[in-house]
Amino acid sequence: MKLASLSAEQAPPISVPLRFFIAAPVFLALVALLLAMVGGNPFAELHSPAQIAATHQVTLGFMAMVMLGAIQQLLPVVIGSPMPASRLVAWLTFLPLIAGTLSLSAGFMLGKPALLNLSWPLLGLAFLVFIAASLTSLARATAKNATKTALLLSILSLAGAVTLGMLLARGYAVGLPLPYARLAAAHISLALGGWVLLLIIGVSYQVVPMFQLTPNYPKWLTAGLAPAIIVTLLLNLVLLIPESAPYWARFIAEGIFWSLACCFAVVTLRLQSQRRRRVPDAPLSFFRLGMLSLLLAALFSLAALILPAASDQLRTLSALVFLLGFALSLIQGMLYKVVPFLVWFHLFRGGISTGIPNMKNIIPEPWMWRHLWLHGGTLLAALLAPWWNVAAWLIMLGLLLQGALLGYAVFTGIAVYRRTLKRIEQAAT
Amino acid sequence: MHTIAEHMTADHKACDNEFVVAEEAALAGNWSEAETAFNAFNNDMTRHFRMEEEVLFPALVSAGGPSGPVHIMRMEHTQIKGLLEQMAAAVTQKNAQEYGGLSETLLMVMQQHNNKEEQILYPIADQILVKERETLFGRMQAA
Repeated sequence: MKLASLSAEQAPPISVPLRFFIAAPVFLALVALLLAMVGGNPFAELHSPAQIAATHQVTLGFMAMVMLGAIQQLLPVVIGSPMPASRLVAWLTFLPLIAGTLSLSAGFMLGKPALLNLSWPLLGLAFLVFIAASLTSLARATAKNATKTALLLSILSLAGAVTLGMLLARGYAVGLPLPYARLAAAHISLALGGWVLLLIIGVSYQVVPMFQLTPNYPKWLTAGLAPAIIVTLLLNLVLLIPESAPYWARFIAEGIFWSLACCFAVVTLRLQSQRRRRVPDAPLSFFRLGMLSLLLAALFSLAALILPAASDQLRTLSALVFLLGFALSLIQGMLYKVVPFLVWFHLFRGGISTGIPNMKNIIPEPWMWRHLWLHGGTLLAALLAPWWNVAAWLIMLGLLLQGALLGYAVFTGIAVYRRTLKRIEQAAT
Repeated sequence: MHTIAEHMTADHKACDNEFVVAEEAALAGNWSEAETAFNAFNNDMTRHFRMEEEVLFPALVSAGGPSGPVHIMRMEHTQIKGLLEQMAAAVTQKNAQEYGGLSETLLMVMQQHNNKEEQILYPIADQILVKERETLFGRMQAA
């Protein structure tokens, strides 16, 4: 690690991450509205335009929105190397990500090629800037730890996922003769199995022992897991190249991937059960719910391999549980730690400690617990979604309320920051 | 023989353990135990800071080590001391909610601070101060 990483200026201005964090919950509410507009059961049919639109509002509008904002904050902590030009990078990712996500989902929903053609260059720009900035940060970090390797592999997977996504959007827009199903499968593998999973793994290596006071991840795991996952993903991609690969080969490749994911979840849950800090902690419960969901997503995908008759429903379930259960739980739990901390940290930088609210006075803890229960309820509805049409409405309602609650929590954090800052400034004059 | 990194990291872990005991007692409203545990934690944190500020950091800087990062570490000590003072007041007032919010905040600050020292500063100290290690340990014990 470079000494510069010990500088007080390593953290970007508070407005950089917060603009992403306040925009993200709006997209959760938008997904709910979109699902309501579709009517029927969008989870009954794989790859329907409505499902593609809703999925991208979650993955781009919510997940990528939070991650792109949070990574600026996380890199100095986990690899000791800040991102260059943080304000510029923030604007060049934030605005095109919003515009690109809206035009992509509207393009699919309304079947308008012009909107799809608008979306892919915008999303390409957002991710190109982000990928370039984060690779620069990784290149500057002199540390050689497992987190850095996992983050590098994660970002390279993102580059692949974005390239394929742009190609697919352009293909749909102008009707290119592409092998859509196989390209989409590769796009999803790289986006979820590569970028999302490896990012969470890499960050967990540091964050779980550090903030949850658990033992460290075992060396065999940190040394081998991320490279093993990327090799398995590549194997899965290679099997997509021929028009039809032998079933046993796909069975083995997918089986190994999900076993590796299970391995991460089981080890993390075990470490957390050995944590020294035993007091109730809502973000930790979000985290553990996320790990249980990852196990469940793996079980559904493995079951889909064994039971081809129910394969479509099981795959839909696996995807739902991976996105809503695994990714959303972790991201929301993280926000409930990060937002109060950032507000406290940036207020404290003035050097005055009295009158600065502590973290639990910034976002009240009972809200976090209520959100956790609401989130758990939404997940239960998701488990019934492929079969029970009412579940789609419950998911919609759950996402709408979660978006509102999270948005209100982040907004409250910002309001506390502004109010306290004003008071400090008034006291100083 | 232990390195400086091993020695000081073990001290961080010992403080973490005391932090956990004090927090659990305070949140359970078990104030006599909370007071004892918090005092032990607070004393050991103060002692740890003294070892660094009076012995390790000056030795590091005078041996040509980086003064900027040492300055940042001192500033973070001040932040942590501020939180510890507020926590002491919460113990006196037997205010579990206040204590819980402060200890949550302290944990975030303290762990990031410890991580920077363990990953960056202590390994540098081990490189630069390899010959003086024994005497440094003796002086830190006495600090």
